[in-house]
Amino acid sequence: MNVRRRATRTVTPEAARLPARVWAIGGGKGGIGKSFIAANVAATAARSGRQVLLIDADLGGANLHTCFGMPAGRGPNLSDFIEDRIQDLDKAAEETPIPGLRLIRGALGHAGTADTSHEQRTQLVQASRGLGADLVIFDLAAGMDRATLDFFLETDESMLVATPEPTSIENAYSFLRASFYRKLAHGLRDSPVRDLVREAMDQRNERGIRTPTDLIAEIERLEPAAAENLRKLISSFRPRLVVNQVRNREEVKLGFSIRSVCRKYFGLDVEYLGYVSYDDLVWRSIKERRPLVVAYPQSDSAIYIRQIVKKMLQP
Amino acid sequence: MNATDTNLYEVLELIDAATSQDIDRAYRIARATYQPASTATYSLFSDDENAEILQRIEEAYAVLSDPRMRREYDARLRRDRASRHTAPPSAAPKMVALPVRENEPPAPSVPDYSLDEPDEPDDGVYDGPALRRVRIRHGIELDEISARTKINESHLSAIEQNRYDHLPAGVYLRGFLREFAKCLKLDPKAVTESYMALFIAHDRRPGRA
Ligand SMILES: Nc1ncnc2c1ncn2[C@@H]1O[C@H](COP(=O)(O)OP(=O)(O)O)[C@@H](O)[C@H]1O
Ligand SMILES: [Mg+2]
Repeated sequence: MNVRRRATRTVTPEAARLPARVWAIGGGKGGIGKSFIAANVAATAARSGRQVLLIDADLGGANLHTCFGMPAGRGPNLSDFIEDRIQDLDKAAEETPIPGLRLIRGALGHAGTADTSHEQRTQLVQASRGLGADLVIFDLAAGMDRATLDFFLETDESMLVATPEPTSIENAYSFLRASFYRKLAHGLRDSPVRDLVREAMDQRNERGIRTPTDLIAEIERLEPAAAENLRKLISSFRPRLVVNQVRNREEVKLGFSIRSVCRKYFGLDVEYLGYVSYDDLVWRSIKERRPLVVAYPQSDSAIYIRQIVKKMLQP
Repeated sequence: MNATDTNLYEVLELIDAATSQDIDRAYRIARATYQPASTATYSLFSDDENAEILQRIEEAYAVLSDPRMRREYDARLRRDRASRHTAPPSAAPKMVALPVRENEPPAPSVPDYSLDEPDEPDDGVYDGPALRRVRIRHGIELDEISARTKINESHLSAIEQNRYDHLPAGVYLRGFLREFAKCLKLDPKAVTESYMALFIAHDRRPGRA
């Protein structure tokens, strides 16, 4: 992807009409339902009359097309754009069977977005805004390589998916921690506290900074002038939580608990957006290669998804 | 953690104006969150740290749940704040406050097609599943309705599942349906009539006593 060329690309007046909102859906762990939620959130928003563009940013394991029953494609995809084989991101956007919803595929078995630069990723997010969609949704890969963290941070809204299992919770927290420090490191790169942030990223640092909350306290103590900037940065990072595969009431409440822990540990205000129950209809809809909200619109999980989208779209 | 300069409301993540229900609710969540071997704190806080946090939560709750102690505490908090305002800024204790939310960017200028679904079923029939869907849309759990209406949760669940044989006689059921409907902000009369029609039809099936 040629950054300079992308930056000067002219946007058609029609596309410029609507400022797109860009969301990212991530969570650190694989198999927790990020793609299922991305596909269904996108389908729900499209069915509510919005123009939606879904981007499969999981280049290693792209499979969103399958959720819509689209055959393996030979057309241009996201990797072609990233690797400069196509100049125009629009060329990679394909209609799905759902009116108003387009998909940009990742490429199966591809090396990934990891070897792009921070600037290129920002450019990709920018380019996605110019394609005439009201809403752009990035479905992120598992893991926490820098590209995934950047998409999570550079979009307007980020949704963190977790399931009620210790392994998923652990990965969700590592993911948050990594994003949090990446955000600080990037935002404070010209600040006198830059080194302090870098030091704090090492869990065994000598200052005894263990949690982001400790770091904030330390910065307030040492560099009160930098604290204002820091506070702004932190308040602009507002991931929102979805707990997926919930099986009982206790697990519903887990969302509130995670919210509390994020506040105490990270000093972050994480909104608990909602939950989706564990539902056999989910895998049935995946088997049928139709989004759940289309195949089983009256199911509990479909209702939960619509609630989540409704909250996300609230101004 | 050395950022423990928080006041009792912050310990329970409450605002000063919290009601006693808010306080109870926050306490219940906090207890579940910081119990030993908690899933929610897994990999971030050790059991010792959980115990320490829990201790502070118990202390905060002991004060805030007691009206007299809470009044005294609030008065002290007000005095502290007043004196802090007059003190030179350097003397102010350092607190890690939660960041204030910045103004949201404007919402997209698209026609706002609503995702609101009508609570009335298409066919006008309020059977159990229809009531359940409304309840889920409103984000209310059965035990909350049970607590509010004093109706046994197993009865509410039988209503939602159309398990007519598990439901009490007509007059009681009518009362249950009215309360249930009110909690869901549905028309009690429409719900009761619709559901009772199904219940009676079931009751009159041949072969039933
Ligand atoms: N709410 C749910 N109920 C039941 N199964 C689910 C649910 N969410 C996800 N799954 C199952 O988990 C599998 C993995 O989901 P996927 O969205 O591909 O995860 P990810 O994108 O996080 O790797 C799906 O194929 C589906 O069978
Ligand atoms: Mg996926």
